[in-house]
Amino acid sequence: MTVLLRRPAALLGLLLVALHLAVAIAAPWIAPFAPTSLLDAPLEPPGATYWLGTDDLGRDAFSRLLWGGRVAMLVAFAAGAVAVLGGALLGLAAAYRRGSFDDVLMRLVEMKLAVPTILFVAIFVTGFGQSVPVLIVAVGIIQMMGVVRTTRAAGIVLMEQGYVRAAQLNGEGGATIILRELLPNVADLMAVEFALRASSALLLVSALSFLGLGISPPTPDWGLMVEDGMALLESEPALVLAPALCIATLVLGINLAAEGLSDALGLDAARGGGG
Amino acid sequence: MRSAWMRREVGVADPVLQVRDLSIAWRGADGRANRVVDGVSFDLAAGGTLGIAGESGSGKSTLARALLGHCRAGSAITGGSIRLDGDDLAALSEPGLARRRGRVMAMVPQNPLASLTFHLRVGRQLEEVLRWRAGLSADAARLRAIELFGQMGLPDPERLARRYPHQLSGGQRQRVVLACAIACDPLLLVLDEPTTALDKTTEAQVLDLIRRLRTARQGAMVIVTHDLNVVADICDRVLVMQHGRIVEQGPVGQVFATPREAYTRVLLGAALRVENASRARPAAPGLPLLEVTGLGFRYARPSLLRRAPPGPPILDDIGLTLARGEVLGVIGESGSGKTTLGGIVTGLLAADRGRLAFDGTELTARRTREQRRRIQMVFQDPLSSLNPRRRVGDAVMRPLRLFHGLDQRDAARRAARLFEELGLEPALLARFPRQLSGGQQQRVAIARAFAAEPDLLICDEITSALDASVQAQVLDHLAAMQRRQGTAMLLITHDLSVVWRMARRVAVMQGGRILETGETEAIFRKPANPYTAALLGAATRAARAGQPELVDATG
Amino acid sequence: MIVLVLRRGALSLVTLFLLATFVFFATEVLPGDALDVSLSADEMAMMPPEVLARRRAELGLDRPVLERYLGFLGGLLNGDLGRTIITRAPVADIVAMPLRNSIALAGVTLLLALPVALAIAMAAAQAKGRALDNAVSGAAIIGYSIPEFVTGLLLIAVFAVWWPVFPATITASTDDPLGVLLAAAPLAIATTIIGSIAYLGRILRVGLIEVMAADFVERLHLSGIPRWRILWLHALPAAMIPGLSAAALYAASLVSGVVVVELVFAYPGIGAELVRAVTRREVHVVQAIALAAAVCVVLFNLLADLGIAALDPRTRRA
Repeated sequence: MTVLLRRPAALLGLLLVALHLAVAIAAPWIAPFAPTSLLDAPLEPPGATYWLGTDDLGRDAFSRLLWGGRVAMLVAFAAGAVAVLGGALLGLAAAYRRGSFDDVLMRLVEMKLAVPTILFVAIFVTGFGQSVPVLIVAVGIIQMMGVVRTTRAAGIVLMEQGYVRAAQLNGEGGATIILRELLPNVADLMAVEFALRASSALLLVSALSFLGLGISPPTPDWGLMVEDGMALLESEPALVLAPALCIATLVLGINLAAEGLSDALGLDAARGGGG
Repeated sequence: MRSAWMRREVGVADPVLQVRDLSIAWRGADGRANRVVDGVSFDLAAGGTLGIAGESGSGKSTLARALLGHCRAGSAITGGSIRLDGDDLAALSEPGLARRRGRVMAMVPQNPLASLTFHLRVGRQLEEVLRWRAGLSADAARLRAIELFGQMGLPDPERLARRYPHQLSGGQRQRVVLACAIACDPLLLVLDEPTTALDKTTEAQVLDLIRRLRTARQGAMVIVTHDLNVVADICDRVLVMQHGRIVEQGPVGQVFATPREAYTRVLLGAALRVENASRARPAAPGLPLLEVTGLGFRYARPSLLRRAPPGPPILDDIGLTLARGEVLGVIGESGSGKTTLGGIVTGLLAADRGRLAFDGTELTARRTREQRRRIQMVFQDPLSSLNPRRRVGDAVMRPLRLFHGLDQRDAARRAARLFEELGLEPALLARFPRQLSGGQQQRVAIARAFAAEPDLLICDEITSALDASVQAQVLDHLAAMQRRQGTAMLLITHDLSVVWRMARRVAVMQGGRILETGETEAIFRKPANPYTAALLGAATRAARAGQPELVDATG
Repeated sequence: MIVLVLRRGALSLVTLFLLATFVFFATEVLPGDALDVSLSADEMAMMPPEVLARRRAELGLDRPVLERYLGFLGGLLNGDLGRTIITRAPVADIVAMPLRNSIALAGVTLLLALPVALAIAMAAAQAKGRALDNAVSGAAIIGYSIPEFVTGLLLIAVFAVWWPVFPATITASTDDPLGVLLAAAPLAIATTIIGSIAYLGRILRVGLIEVMAADFVERLHLSGIPRWRILWLHALPAAMIPGLSAAALYAASLVSGVVVVELVFAYPGIGAELVRAVTRREVHVVQAIALAAAVCVVLFNLLADLGIAALDPRTRRA
């Protein structure tokens, strides 16, 4: 942590993430109005009552802004956790087993790389409907494939190490070797991967919401707010730019923190963050 | 009784290269300067060959680069001068240095494969030096390149010039980088570990070539190496470095015969001396423990997606026996198949052919728990053989709990005793591997192996990653443990002095076959196989250089 | 070389086959069948069972899963992507022109972004650790942290609203010639390019810095070869190899980006078609778009592999 704090960019990133998290958690208490209630005439200009004015349905834009990261962050961090835990176990298992298990898994990873992420989610949403659990699973699976790739590569290097050899020679089982010998040695990588996966999941979720394939109305969400406000860019720029700025600063914060973390741990974020 | 080195000594009166008080420092991440070359001074005469000897981390490679006026990013010359041909390289600007590099001073880098551009044909790479540094026209450069390749003893130079680096053998690559370095006939040629990547037969050929180049050229030569045998072979002066300082320097014969400094004696002590009386090695007692017959191995069998690599098998018709409590040395260079053999005996790899019998029962890659306990292994790299995320005590206690069913307390007590037997403080049990020195790490790995109370221990190059001063200590502890527990050992190594010290019998491997097996004493004194003779010849040069009359005879 | 092409080609086919299988099962088997997916729960409840059964029969959904799956694969091999559920129009006709337009947008983006990213990466790698390099790295991390739709909106706000030099949205129609279409979409192209440069520039910079620290670069430096020659002749081709792998990986993200950007600017590509198909639950159109995009990405990967083989003689032994 101290190494992280010594890098100003990483520190800025952490602060941004912390700020967004705090606001998201505290939104029910600090928001002046309920985010979904129709309060006033549509498109009131910003003022003392409605700091950012009201939106096209007469809801308080500022309250919606405070609430708007909650679901997206929930989906992104949950999907990031699913991706890193599942991906690391699969990747290490592939490194340990090799053979046909590895071959099949690598085919699946390549298949994922061939499908643009948005299309992948679109397939899921077409099949299973548009809900938060479906989003978490779909985004989690997509992000998982990248984690499988990096942890497998790390695992293959670890499998050559003397301590893994020694454990194999002593007849330790696959689960013991994966959990006891391999997993602790990819913990750094997993921390960086979690940050990278969460940031790209967040980008994906907000893009999906913007397209109308992600979080569905009336849930307050930044991506949806941008989409709703797009037509009003000329007259009410704040309705679009404020949520857009929120998404950008949150993702930037996570990425800066991830960069600082991987730098401090001597990992290569640029390589890990593909796809 | 004027020896060869005394005659060579005369040249130093007229030095080409004069290094005075040279210091080079690295600036660490914390901003502190760390001196890696510290107050180094020496002279080198025209036509002279200087060997810079030292272990890794001694600063010898940094010094070698400084002789071309180059410091790697993060380091800089902090004091002193390097006078070459009248100029002070330490004071020259980058363009001034660039004008001289390749022409006045040139370098043969350590790793020829990585030092050649992998996506360009080797002929083109030599032509580039000839065109840009020697000022030849395109046509002249092409002809001269072929000519130079021929002079380097490369077969069919015209066809070879059209090849890519990865298509050449190790010896051929070394000759190509040599050709690039001498293309402009530099005054000073610096060779960084010129033979480290090569097998002994190729090493002899490349050293021969270097020797020929030295006589054909007027310039001076600096050879940086960790191998005193190479120094003994072709250098007339030697400079021994440790921690960035010169420990000792002088004519090779003199330094090797009467080393003044303790560190030089340690380095020389690691070199093989068959002339000495053999050490007390464990006698070979009774019953056979391990019997290997007709063993063969190839890499991964071809499948739909993978093709089998062509060429001969990794192991071919290997046969050997090992008695209870006996130490058998297996000698071979990299690629001889000795590590694969160890892998099959331990069960990490499965043999394609042949039979493995352990204590009377057939051994396959599937082992019973008891068989696993009885066959243990110590690996080459001590750091990588311990899990960096676990305390070393964990590593030693795991087999105790796994094989002997000890509970946490008993396992800890037993682990502490093992540590004491290996000369380690029991307090170290709570440390992480990185907090230990290389020698301590390797002793922890030995403790882990002995914790299982094995009948057979396979040691794969267990000293090659350690400093010379630590090697002896580790081997002594290993030998003591082996005697106490009566464990049989398969000692796999390329280092003949390790075998000489530890093993009563030895098997010599090359190209996946065993060339000869027998008593170490007999084979080392009178090798029957020419390859064994070459290995021994290469390994005993340093010892022979200590005897001036022998230098006269061979030099 | 030929063996390599064949091997990679065969692997690509396996990938596409797996993908087709996944698409079929995710949309037509696990959730029920195409009709379950295309009708909402209300509609299902409203429809009399015999009408449902008749429509199932019409769509061939009464056949067993395996038979439908084989029929689906057979159709793909013949280039038959099926018909839409509601209008019964051939899917291929609906998807063809938008697909062409999207490929054009992605292609133009890559063609323009790769050289710019390379130039920026070279400048940054040369100045490693100094102000220029830090500025480039900083800009890159900001560049790929901002979602494409935000970049697009910012460009619209600046260049179409406050300083109206470009049109905000695209007026050209789906069937216009590509030249007309692309000329009408400068802001859309700029948006995709900004993201691509940020991503590719970052990876190329790392690759170049790695290569400049390689042993062969040091050897050349120590033989007095001029720096520009080392950079252009030796280091750049070596750094292009990881660059091409990165570009190949990036192809899929690029398509995702293109989908979003198309919606921002009302560009008539598969993005708009995809959103329409998902919201109307037109299973076969979603399938077709996913498969078409995958074919493009796989082809691009194949090209990148061949480019790597051309640059790196070590990979040519298949």
